[in-house]
This record gives sequence, C-alpha cells and structure tokens, in this order.
Amino acid sequence: MSSDLLLMLLADARLPVAGHTQSGQLEAAVRDGLTAAEVPLLLRARLGTVARVEAGTAVVGLHHLRAGLPLGPVLDAWAARTPARAMRESSRTLARAHLRLAVRLWPDSSYVSLVRGLPGGCRPLALAAAAGAGGLAPDALARLVAYDDLQTVSSAALKLLPLDPADAAGWVHDALPAAEQVAAEVAALTVPEDIPAPAAPMLDLWAQAHATTTRRLFSA
Amino acid sequence: MPDRSTLRVGVCGPVGTGKSSLIALLCRELAGDLQLGVVTNDIYTDEDARFLRSAGVLAPERIRAVETGACPHTAIRDDITANLLAVEELEDDFAPLDVVLVESGGDNLTATFSPALVDVQVFLIDVAGGGDVARKGGPGIERADLLVVNKTDLAPYVGVDAALMVADAIAARDGRPVLALSRNDPESVARLVAWVRAQLSAHRAGSLVPADPGPMAPHTHADGTTHAHPDADDDHDAA
Repeated sequence: MSSDLLLMLLADARLPVAGHTQSGQLEAAVRDGLTAAEVPLLLRARLGTVARVEAGTAVVGLHHLRAGLPLGPVLDAWAARTPARAMRESSRTLARAHLRLAVRLWPDSSYVSLVRGLPGGCRPLALAAAAGAGGLAPDALARLVAYDDLQTVSSAALKLLPLDPADAAGWVHDALPAAEQVAAEVAALTVPEDIPAPAAPMLDLWAQAHATTTRRLFSA
Repeated sequence: MPDRSTLRVGVCGPVGTGKSSLIALLCRELAGDLQLGVVTNDIYTDEDARFLRSAGVLAPERIRAVETGACPHTAIRDDITANLLAVEELEDDFAPLDVVLVESGGDNLTATFSPALVDVQVFLIDVAGGGDVARKGGPGIERADLLVVNKTDLAPYVGVDAALMVADAIAARDGRPVLALSRNDPESVARLVAWVRAQLSAHRAGSLVPADPGPMAPHTHADGTTHAHPDADDDHDAA
C-alpha cells in the first residue's frame, strides 16, 4: 500500500485529535489587530519559524526512533527552540491527543510506546511515532507538519474573521511551495543540534497572552 | 461497562438554563462524601469555570476549562478528544474520583453528548425559556437519561404553567425520567441528588450502559425552512 493514504489520514481535519481547539496563535493575533488580509503573512511567518522547528523535531525524532537512539535530546532541542511556555504546554496536550489515537491505530508499535513513555512528549514526537508506526518517510512527515500548520491557522480564520472559505483554501494553496521548502530543508536531518532554531517573538508573546486571557474560543 | 469506577455525567442544554448552577448544586450536595471533578466547555469565556471556582463548592484545581474552538457540538460529540483528555487528567490527578461532571458549552436544543465521553447525561430546559420548549422535542429533551425542567419557582413570574410543561416533557419522553427542579425547593434537589447517586450505584454494579440520545432532529431555521442533518457533525456552530 502507498503511504499516501496514511498521510491523508493523518492530515485530515476530521482526525479526532482535538485539532478544532487550535488556532496557531491566530486568535491572539486577531485580538491584537491582525486583519484577514494579513493572515497569509502569519502563515509565512509560522512556516519560517515554529513550523520549521516542529517539522525538524518530527524528522529527527523519527530518525532517533528508527535508529534506536534516545528521544530525550530531541525533546530538549525542541523545548529549547520553543521558548513560550504556553506553546510547549499546548504541544504536550496535542501530543497526548495524538498518542491516544496512535495507540489505538498501532497498539503493537514500539515507537508509539516509546513516545508515550516520554514525560512531556511534544506533538512533533507524537507525529514521528505515528509516521514510524505507519511507515511514512521523513520528507512526508515534514510535509504533514507544515501542511497541518497552514490548515490549522486557515480553518481558525474561518471562525475568527468573516471571509469566503475559498479564500482560506487559496491561502493554503499559495503557501504550499513554501511548505515544500520547509520539508526539503529538514527532511534529511538526523541530529537534534541541526533542528532549525529561528526566533518568533510575536508568536511567543501572542501565545503567552492568549494563555492568560479569560475570553477565547481556541485553546491556543 | 467502562473499566473504571468514576462515573462521568454530562450536563447539557441551551444557554441560560442553569447548567453551571446545577453543577454547583450537585457539588454542594455531593462533595461531603464523594470525590468530584468538573470539566467546563465555555464557548467564549471561562465564565462557567470561574463561576464554579468562585462558588467555593470544589477546590479550584478540580475544575478544568476546555476551549472548543467555537465547536461546542464537536467537542462533546464527534471529536471528544479534548474533553476526554481533561476528564482523564482529572481522574489521574485526584484518583480515585467518584464523579466527574462535564458541562457542555450552552448551545441549542440539539446538542447531546457522545456515550463515549459520558456514562449518563442530563439535559436542562427551564420555564423562563418558554413553556413550549418541552413540546418542541429534540434528542436531548426526548432521550437524555434525565430531563430537568429548571427554575420552576419562576413560573408565575414568566407566565408559564410549570405543571403543563412537565406534563409535555413526560409525554415527549416515553417513560424516561423528568425532574421539575428549583434550587429553592429542597425536595426537588433531593430527588436530583438521589438520581445521581443511583446512577453511580448502577455504574459500579455494571448495569449502566451509556446510551446515545441520537443525532440532531429535523429543525426549523429563521427563514422558515425545515431540514434534518444526516451527520451528527454537520452542526450549526455559533461562530
């Protein structure tokens, strides 16, 4: 069987992993004045920063799983590149959601067991476990992370900003080459130190501000 | 039967029918001898979680708020993951819990819980929401495990015949229980508490089988059209 189908399953918004609770900091950004016309800029900013970190972490995590190397250094490298505590906590919650599903889909996978046994495991490592269990290649895993990031923000935009859903689909479509570029950059990584380490101070500030507001639709 | 001792109770119903108050009431009545936890699903604010924390009926850390991304139906019905994680965390953090109460985001008459999230569910309507609500029916009114007609003490002030509303509810439910509740009527509160305790006993005896009240019923829109949704996830999100 082609791994395309598994990739589709994991990329599908209908996958029960609480994806509908996430806006990728869009809600906080909109509260701070971001307009619908600026959402594509946010998509690009995320692809260049947090999505690269997540994609790189996932790919290196997959390599460590397949090579029998420890996951701790990969998790540490991700945490060091994710300075906003709110983002780390969201990622850990989403990891639990993914692992809850992964253990049902691949009950005998040692990869899934390893990531489940890792305290504070992050979402990219949960995705790496699913990719390992299901037989996804590193470049496909990286595309999955980048694509999911685009769709998370764009679907949240449909809730937060009044617009034609075809516009949001257009944003995702137009950002696909940039997502491919992220995947190409990280697909061959094997070492935690090589995971990209960009800074995204506005995303960090929005994530932190959102975590303390008492009025929000999205978890993050 | 689920392989755990904690009973998970869902509380749903339209906005303003008294879900948070009912949960506060249950906490007040049950916290003396049962270990409790609460998960709330506010649609936009954490008002319900804050209300419950400020009510002082339960330690604040036993009350968790889950954001649903403007999808209150989804979070209790088709992708229940966020709520399940919150429930399981509470159960782990405060083991052994006797009862976890899950409050849905107040939405409309059609949202009910998946039996994969809760073992038993209470649907609330109230006299102030209109005397004809029970007659309108829907999955929650007709088939939730318990239908509460709340705020019966307000009936004289809103021109509603509470007895008729309860009779309508009984007629709509094919023998399922209906409880006329006022928090100012100790006898009705006692019956609510007794119902919850009976569910806990049945759950522990293995005789409680979580049941689905059913997908959304055909319903009418403001433009006068009536239709049914074939899929449970084809809902009407507030945002």
